[in-house]
Amino acid sequence: MRAGELSAGRLALLLNAPALAGLFLVLAYPICFAGYLSLHTVSIRELRSGEFPFAGLANFARLLADPVFWLALRHTFVFVAASVLLEVLIGLAIALVISDERVWLSRLTRVLILVPWAVPPVVNGLLWSFILNAQFGYLNRVLHKLGLISEYINWLGHPWLAMGAVVAAYVWRTTPFNVLLYHAALQGIPATLYEAAAVDGASPWQSLWQVTLPLLRPMVAVTLILRTTFGFMVFDEILAITQGGPGNDTWVAAWYTYRRAFQPPFDIGLGAASAWILAIIVGLIALAYVRLVYRRVEYA
Amino acid sequence: MMRLSWPRRVGLWIGNLCAIAFLLLPFVPVVLGSLQSEKSIQQDTRALLPAECTLANFRLILSGGRTKGPIFEQVSYLPKSVERFPSAFLNSLVVGVGVTGGALAAASLSAYALARLRLRWTQALLQASVISRMIPLVVLMVPLYVLFRRYNLLNSLSGVIVAEIGLLLPYAVLILVPYFATLPPELEDAARIDGCTRWQAFLRVVLPLSTPGLAACGVILFILSWHELLVPLILVSRPEFMTVPVVLAGLVSDYFVFFTLMMAICLLGLLPTLILVLALQKFVVRGLVSGAVKG
Repeated sequence: MRAGELSAGRLALLLNAPALAGLFLVLAYPICFAGYLSLHTVSIRELRSGEFPFAGLANFARLLADPVFWLALRHTFVFVAASVLLEVLIGLAIALVISDERVWLSRLTRVLILVPWAVPPVVNGLLWSFILNAQFGYLNRVLHKLGLISEYINWLGHPWLAMGAVVAAYVWRTTPFNVLLYHAALQGIPATLYEAAAVDGASPWQSLWQVTLPLLRPMVAVTLILRTTFGFMVFDEILAITQGGPGNDTWVAAWYTYRRAFQPPFDIGLGAASAWILAIIVGLIALAYVRLVYRRVEYA
Repeated sequence: MMRLSWPRRVGLWIGNLCAIAFLLLPFVPVVLGSLQSEKSIQQDTRALLPAECTLANFRLILSGGRTKGPIFEQVSYLPKSVERFPSAFLNSLVVGVGVTGGALAAASLSAYALARLRLRWTQALLQASVISRMIPLVVLMVPLYVLFRRYNLLNSLSGVIVAEIGLLLPYAVLILVPYFATLPPELEDAARIDGCTRWQAFLRVVLPLSTPGLAACGVILFILSWHELLVPLILVSRPEFMTVPVVLAGLVSDYFVFFTLMMAICLLGLLPTLILVLALQKFVVRGLVSGAVKG
């Protein structure tokens, strides 16, 4: 270190100052402020006057007494379980077929793999709402042409079908991300391992189960947790495809918070309370994730 | 490499064809829908292909609803989203560029410090970035709305930009740290022996060498900003500050939906990021993979 030059610690602080300010202003402070809001009565009238009367745990009491909140929580878990399972299975299947360079077509698939990821989530929701529309949608048209259905099906009018529709739309958009990670992990497996397995008389099927999948396990664990936390955020597809309907059958946690806080009667205190519960659930998963990934500090 | 047996080769071909179908099939109805008139899609609800193709929907949207098209045979008014689309497109561009520039500048400083100066608190900051990326956005939007309202930052593009920079910063840091970590420290040491300060070494040696990483991070930031719905939806209520996703979300609450118009507007809204992803694919893929595991 030369005279007049900053020590490593000070330099790190200086370089991190903008990021720290950002983290504090847009993340740390708002989360604490949400805690404050959840303990106060905050609605249109209070927002106008700027005074938030203390409410104790009343917001949480109302939240836990709201059957729609429990419904939304249950739907969230169903949505997350279904979408994560599909993202992992379809992601693995696609990654396995595109990773063999000896098949010429796999080059084309690799070029196209990110196409669904490029679609804005709300656009994704709108385009699926057209595909699934009961009167004009193309799913009904195609199924009818193929002779699989005689009457058009109202895909978004039935509770389970509507949930399935949202899961399908979401999974279509998010699976490419998993494919990328699995593909990267597959490329890290040395070809000599497969050659050794073949020399030992393993069939391709056996080497898939004995070599490939065990070596993919760490990456599958990573995506399981990442996709779980992202699944809790689903909002755009719900808004664009079902708006929570039919009835309350596709209300999920993020949709619940949005509707309660930002739609009439603008119950921001209640929204903050449900936001906090959501943050605690996801925060616990995120902590487990950090402990898993940072056991050894290294940059892959 | 060993040669493939023919059953495996056929199997992989079929697998790839299925994968391509999975990736592209949902676009077919969108394109077909956008190319026909509202009348034709409503008249024959059994047909797969439109009776005739027309670009009227696109002309209508790109002119902000001023070109009178065949749609007026059906209706006398248009969804507000059609009029707002051109200005929303510009707003989205401004927000995207602002967010990309701001987040990239702050994140590159921070990521360099985290990759080079390994201190206990910088490592904790890295882990905090991982966690903060997993917090559902709606959780932050409730308090942010109240704060932005209090400080009169609602209904402005700069408010949206500031919020998105803050929300995307941790992710940008996570993408960049692995890039900086792979640069050999000897390069900076050499520069410093030649008389550079750490700051000069960063500006003149590290940054130029990490352009691929910065490009990857930048294009991902722009795409995520272009996709962002919840932030502008909550922070903006005046039409003149709406971005593309907000305008598109407005189609949902319309009493009657014009699907052909909706599909055309969807195609125009997804085109910029689709082109970016296909054109800069290498960067996007590397950036996503590099920022994924620890982020």
